[in-house]
Amino acid sequence: MDLNANIPSGPLAEKWDNHRFSSKLVNPANRRKFTVIIVGTGLAGASASATLAEQGYNVSTFCLQDSPRRAHSIAAQGGINAAKNYQNDGDSVFRLFYDTIKGGDFRSREANVYRLAQVSNNIIDQCVAQGVPFAREYGGTLANRSFGGAQVSRTFYARGQTGQQLLLGAYGALSRQIHSGKVKMYTRREMMDLVVVDGKARGIITRNMKNGELEKHHADAVILATGGYGNAYFLSTNAMSSNVTAAWRAYKHGAGFANPCFVQIHPTCIPVHGTYQSKLTLMSESLRNDGRVWVPVKAKDERKPADIPENERDYYLEKKYPSFGNLVPRDVASRNAKEQCDAGKGVGTTGLAVYLDFADAIKRDGGNTILKKYGNLFQMYEKITDTDPQKEPMMIYPAVHYTMGGLWVDYNLMTTIPGLFALGESNFSDHGANRLGASALMQGLADGYFIIGNTLANYFGSTELGTVCSDREEFGEAKHNVGDRIHKLLKNSYEGFKDHITVDDIHKKLGLLLWDNCGMARNKEDLSKALEELPKIRDEFWDRVYIPGKGNDLNQSLERAGRVADFLEFGEIMIRDALTREESCGCHLREESQTKEHEAKRDDQNYSHVAVWEYQGDDKEPLFHKEELTFENVTPSQRSYK
Amino acid sequence: MWIVRFFQSSIGKKMIMAFTGMLLFLFLCTHVMGNSTIYLGSSHFQHYADTLHSFPVIVYLFSISLLIIVSLHVGFGLNLYFKNREEGDSRYAVTKRVVENSLASRTMIFSGLFILVFLLVHVAGFTFRDEHEPISELVKELLGGFFYGSFYIIAFSVLGLHLSHGFWSMLQTFGVNHPRYNKLISSLSLFFSVFFFLFFAGIPLYFMTGLGSSY
Amino acid sequence: MKIMATIDLTLNIWRQKDNDSLGEFEIYQLNNISTDSSFLEMLDVLNEKLTREGKIPVAFDHDCREGICGMCGAVIDGVAHGPEKATTLCQLHMRNFSTGDTLVIEPFRSRAFPVKRDLMIDRSAFDRIIQSGGYVSTNTGGAIDGNSILIPSDKAELAMDAAACIGCGACVASCPNGAAMLFTGAKISQLCLLPQGAPERHSRALAMIDAMDKEGFGNCSNAKECEAVCPKSISIRNIARLNREYAKAAFLSETKK
Repeated sequence: MDLNANIPSGPLAEKWDNHRFSSKLVNPANRRKFTVIIVGTGLAGASASATLAEQGYNVSTFCLQDSPRRAHSIAAQGGINAAKNYQNDGDSVFRLFYDTIKGGDFRSREANVYRLAQVSNNIIDQCVAQGVPFAREYGGTLANRSFGGAQVSRTFYARGQTGQQLLLGAYGALSRQIHSGKVKMYTRREMMDLVVVDGKARGIITRNMKNGELEKHHADAVILATGGYGNAYFLSTNAMSSNVTAAWRAYKHGAGFANPCFVQIHPTCIPVHGTYQSKLTLMSESLRNDGRVWVPVKAKDERKPADIPENERDYYLEKKYPSFGNLVPRDVASRNAKEQCDAGKGVGTTGLAVYLDFADAIKRDGGNTILKKYGNLFQMYEKITDTDPQKEPMMIYPAVHYTMGGLWVDYNLMTTIPGLFALGESNFSDHGANRLGASALMQGLADGYFIIGNTLANYFGSTELGTVCSDREEFGEAKHNVGDRIHKLLKNSYEGFKDHITVDDIHKKLGLLLWDNCGMARNKEDLSKALEELPKIRDEFWDRVYIPGKGNDLNQSLERAGRVADFLEFGEIMIRDALTREESCGCHLREESQTKEHEAKRDDQNYSHVAVWEYQGDDKEPLFHKEELTFENVTPSQRSYK
Repeated sequence: MWIVRFFQSSIGKKMIMAFTGMLLFLFLCTHVMGNSTIYLGSSHFQHYADTLHSFPVIVYLFSISLLIIVSLHVGFGLNLYFKNREEGDSRYAVTKRVVENSLASRTMIFSGLFILVFLLVHVAGFTFRDEHEPISELVKELLGGFFYGSFYIIAFSVLGLHLSHGFWSMLQTFGVNHPRYNKLISSLSLFFSVFFFLFFAGIPLYFMTGLGSSY
Repeated sequence: MKIMATIDLTLNIWRQKDNDSLGEFEIYQLNNISTDSSFLEMLDVLNEKLTREGKIPVAFDHDCREGICGMCGAVIDGVAHGPEKATTLCQLHMRNFSTGDTLVIEPFRSRAFPVKRDLMIDRSAFDRIIQSGGYVSTNTGGAIDGNSILIPSDKAELAMDAAACIGCGACVASCPNGAAMLFTGAKISQLCLLPQGAPERHSRALAMIDAMDKEGFGNCSNAKECEAVCPKSISIRNIARLNREYAKAAFLSETKK
């Protein structure tokens, strides 16, 4: 597998300019001769669709919701970073670049991250021009806040709905192109397979979710903007339909999958409260600015929080990390919460939660000040749990939130399959082993608005592309395979429900296996055990799963089953990747790699690389490749929050 | 043509409703002023009526305009009602209104049609009347009667109901909705409903109860 | 420590194969539903039960389950998104109901929203309204610096109030006339309150109302039901603003037509 990242030459700050200058262009009059398929309408997919259509390409865009406005980017609350330095507090492109690469624990590419920081400013300008109602100062200028422990105020926001407003901006731009006829929008379509012709990505097979029909679509390039795979864990903050299927199909056609074990676990989520639970709800990290995290000193203490006296409370974060206290980074906070719960000190009905207490803050600043800051979060918490955080401490627990891993892409965002690009969360490129708060929105829009337009032209300008129609045998074969797979999924469904299990039964099993063994803290023994366990779950799925309904019809159970089937295969490379990376880094702790104080120890000597997995066949182990990371402009340093 | 497009659009039709509604409201205001002379005694009222009819052109113009305004208001109202009924409240097995006091808004078409019937009766009784009888006496004779008077009182309460939604609705359609003035607007809606009811329904009551015996 | 409370419910759910078929209510008995679960999680439990019984589960749209994507929605006992104010169906919790309750669950109904299956509807009419002009026509690249457009904070907040719309369709579902004025008004308000939307304000208002009327939505009769059920509490002040914008556009726009 050729893992040439195609990093342009020259000094870091000039690479993107150099690259744009040396890239091939497509004459405006010729662009209408090219068709591009874009899968997904989140920030990356919608912005790419709009931008490419504006440039003159013919775009076919696909989403699995009923409208392109509903992709899960919409749920991002906090904000979007940009190196505008409007607050005059010492921010710069280089600082945003440095913070991002350091936040990623030095497991991402310098050149990609620097470009991200560079275009961050254009994103804000673009979104303002679209009419995104960002928060403003009284004088009318854009307001900023500091976010996720950053030392500068560089986060732009629209209340707690920044993701929604940015997405609706991109959706507006996309809608305009749909109206003009440059984008053909396909809703309620799920990508079932990629079609590769003569070694290049030339189309996709979709399933029309309204009637189960399989459809062939051909194009000159395929762009995946299909988000992350956090739902492999069953419970996550992702939307119910978020899945790995599109990326996994690409992987099976030869696209390398990079760092699949890099999963971010967010510390402040509302805890699980029952087996029926379908998803976890995230609350903004900013809560930790004023809340104090604690558990009872005694294990299995079943008293009400108010009945536990001060000297029987363990403020473990403040004790362990005196200088950062409750504001330690996401991974440290998450890991410690799990540690406490594993030691039996967890609270709540399930024992899987820790307290986040605002009593002291309310005493100090008064209830109104705290309500002003967190009112909407308190409301949301009360709506879900029926307890008032002003009277009783909140209960929080970590949950899977974002996946830094994804399809391997080079500087042009192209995967190892020529003509197949991956944008946004579905690629691996910018966040290394951990993502900073308010950077996901930035990356999605950077990829879609400002990068793909340039790099796609370069691909078209420098590649011989023959005419390919969907009546070619590759398309027929791919469609046939998809049909077979659906048939196979439904094989138990003709006999009625007897000794069967449901899709969710298996998905929960898989989720638990991954959460317990491939979560925040991993070790060789557990991972090896999980790797043995996984095929059994997979076999159980194919043997016993019962899916009601038919294949050639609207069938939500079948949709879920297809996604879970892919998660079951995908889980394996997650575990393998975690096994191979014998260092602690970013958001995960490898128990064998710790300092004396039980802190994560990174191993730059052996693991300063991107791990890339190549498909070899269903019965064969995937092939492991490395893309070495070199740091010329920053010096990797160890984090310390003591 | 832009004007045709405007009148065909959903908002254009609503604007016609609001605009004709406003004119009818203004007419009610002038009507109330004229009728106030009843409470001053029959001579004042007769004098007012005679003065008014000494300008036949004005009366004629007013009547024609009113006819047009009423027809537009009723016509567009019916048109919107039938169009909206294609959707219909009955599309759910269970229908529950969340807004409190929605009676007036739900019954606009019925209160409106009732007022139309009243209008016909009223016009038949007072406009196309026997020219020989002085109007001041006719009022007392007709409205003092139990059935006639009761019908008028009911009609005016329906008018009040119609106005309690209509006045606010008219301003909302014109785009007048501002947190600073919304309280005032809803107070005014209530005030005008009650005011017109008291003033107009007071006339039959005045005669029926015998208060107006010395009229 | 709180003890998990459960309730037993009778569900009267609308089942319909597709828009061309006739639908009917089916009755299901569902026991031991945790009061901490959300309405959709309750439906999940029902669907697992139906699957185990070899029956076809109830189709319903849902995605983010945190009240922002706008995908979910049904009419519960005659109220869109159920009895709790300012709440989407996915954020409605079962503690709002009591044991022994019978719930009537119907899809959002409107001429412009054909039923796809059971509680699942087609809201693409909303997309077409936006496509007709619900945006600022600006291409990617070439935008001026964000701070060169000054917007007073209270204006930005008003625009944000309107922009919070999630496009769920509850306004249409609850409107006695099936009007889409709150949805359309929210988008037009957002853009006409901001200077970026000014150049196209006339053409936008005309085009979007045109598109709205063509989709077969009803006429607003100021019944205020939309505002009352809106999960994002979007005010009918936005409809007033829409009326103003449309009137201005119709009488003052410079286009010849």
